[in-house]
Amino acid sequence: MILSNTEDVPGRTIREFYGVVTGSTVRAKHIGRDLMAGLKNLVGGELKGYTELLQEARQEAMDRMAEQAQAIGANAVVNIRFSTSSVAQGAAELFAYGTAVRVE
Amino acid sequence: MDQELVRLAINLGLPLLLLVLGYFTGTAFEHTHYRSIRLRERRWRRMPTLSFPRPLPQWQVQDTAMVTGSVVISLDYFKRFLAGLRGLVGGRVKSYESLLDRARREAILRMKESAHTAGFHAVVNLRLETSRLASSGRKGKGTAGVEILAFGTALKIADPARP
Amino acid sequence: MSPVSFDPRLPPENNVSPTHPLAELAALLGGILLAAVLLTAGATLALDWLVPHLPASLEQRVFSGLWPAPEAGAGSQQRDPEQATAEALMLRLASHWPDNPYRLHLAVVENDEVNAFAVPGGLVLVTRGLLKRVTSENELAFVLGHELGHFHGRDQLRTLGRGLVVGLTLQALAGTAASGLPALATRMTELRFARAQEEEADRFGLALVEAEYGHVDGATAFFRRLAETRDQDPTGPGNAWLSTHPLGSARIQALEAQAREQGWPETGSLTPIAWRSASARH
Repeated sequence: MILSNTEDVPGRTIREFYGVVTGSTVRAKHIGRDLMAGLKNLVGGELKGYTELLQEARQEAMDRMAEQAQAIGANAVVNIRFSTSSVAQGAAELFAYGTAVRVE
Repeated sequence: MDQELVRLAINLGLPLLLLVLGYFTGTAFEHTHYRSIRLRERRWRRMPTLSFPRPLPQWQVQDTAMVTGSVVISLDYFKRFLAGLRGLVGGRVKSYESLLDRARREAILRMKESAHTAGFHAVVNLRLETSRLASSGRKGKGTAGVEILAFGTALKIADPARP
Repeated sequence: MSPVSFDPRLPPENNVSPTHPLAELAALLGGILLAAVLLTAGATLALDWLVPHLPASLEQRVFSGLWPAPEAGAGSQQRDPEQATAEALMLRLASHWPDNPYRLHLAVVENDEVNAFAVPGGLVLVTRGLLKRVTSENELAFVLGHELGHFHGRDQLRTLGRGLVVGLTLQALAGTAASGLPALATRMTELRFARAQEEEADRFGLALVEAEYGHVDGATAFFRRLAETRDQDPTGPGNAWLSTHPLGSARIQALEAQAREQGWPETGSLTPIAWRSASARH
């Protein structure tokens, strides 16, 4: 599965397109990460726990999107965009969407 | 001792009642909504919707306009409770997934419907935006609902029966 | 540019996990409750192990700042015969407790209600109302012995510590679940432990009485009287003790059973209280 955030895949031609595919997850942090973040808020620096959490969540969202594309017979997803939003206190939604196409 | 029992009954019973209420009504709403969504998606699948910023090369575009579709869906007590528990343990908040999925698909459908009503045939450069509406109680920390906005550029094509 | 064909295909609904929400609820609730129970149990065990190691002198130093203005001390017999008599009785009883680490004091609270408290650090408080209503030394001895029992079990520290731990654990959960739940659960756990502590204090008190007088007659008579007056007058001053030291017939029976087990005589001559023989009593 080719993933790209450009309009087309460089070096390949799009033959057919199938529609928009999306992938999303909603992840919450657990109380341990919360405490560490609270401490970090005092001293500053990277919140490694959260970085990892969001990276995992983004990967999962992209995987779900690729699964959808796979299921409808596409071999590439182009023009991928991400969106992160907070949907509840302590939980964030990671969302990826793009257009599923067949390239050759 | 009676007073203790009454207080216990209220403190446990009321949230329990709300949970049960939230669960059943929430599930019922969700069920109905999904049925409507699936029906309309089948109906509208022929309208090309892309996140491409440009139209397909073979289209002759006569007119363009921006179209939007949005929806705000509220949380029920059951979903909120589950999300709260997840906040302790961490991990995937499954109760919100269906909420956002429904809202997203509904927003896209509304956008397509409004494009069609205005006489357009396709939508390009689809974008989606999600935002949380905070509730006024609980010092703005609670969530009243989630709004999803879908917008894109609608195109009027010379010959809608495309390949 | 060559035409690109459009083939509309609906993607699968894979953005929603197939888990049933009730199953998720059960799993989360179960897991969290289990963790809370284990945490509380673990903390209680740790407390029970730790508290006996805390020296009484430390406890006295820390808590004596909270004591009411002291009336205690030898040489105040002229000022308050009741206080002096009660304190002397308490010290006599404590002499049967060989491991007593406390320097004990007794103070009287000017209150018509019937009540007695064991204050951390080694202070026993009794109300004037209680001293007025005892008819024999044996009755007072049991009340004092019961309070000494609390010191023996380091009950105040245990209760404080437990209250802290349980309160903190439940406070952490409070952000998520129903709001009234943590306070209520704290109260209920406290009540359970309190009952066990009261029973232990009873046993200790009764043993002290037997050691002092050779029999346990009169020990429970005071409570029976209080229970009777409460039935007649539910809001009277005699009920303060009962509300904080719940007195069921179960408790009286437990005391009688203990006496029988130990082979302690249940009847004997009751000692009148020394101050009653003095004329200056109102």
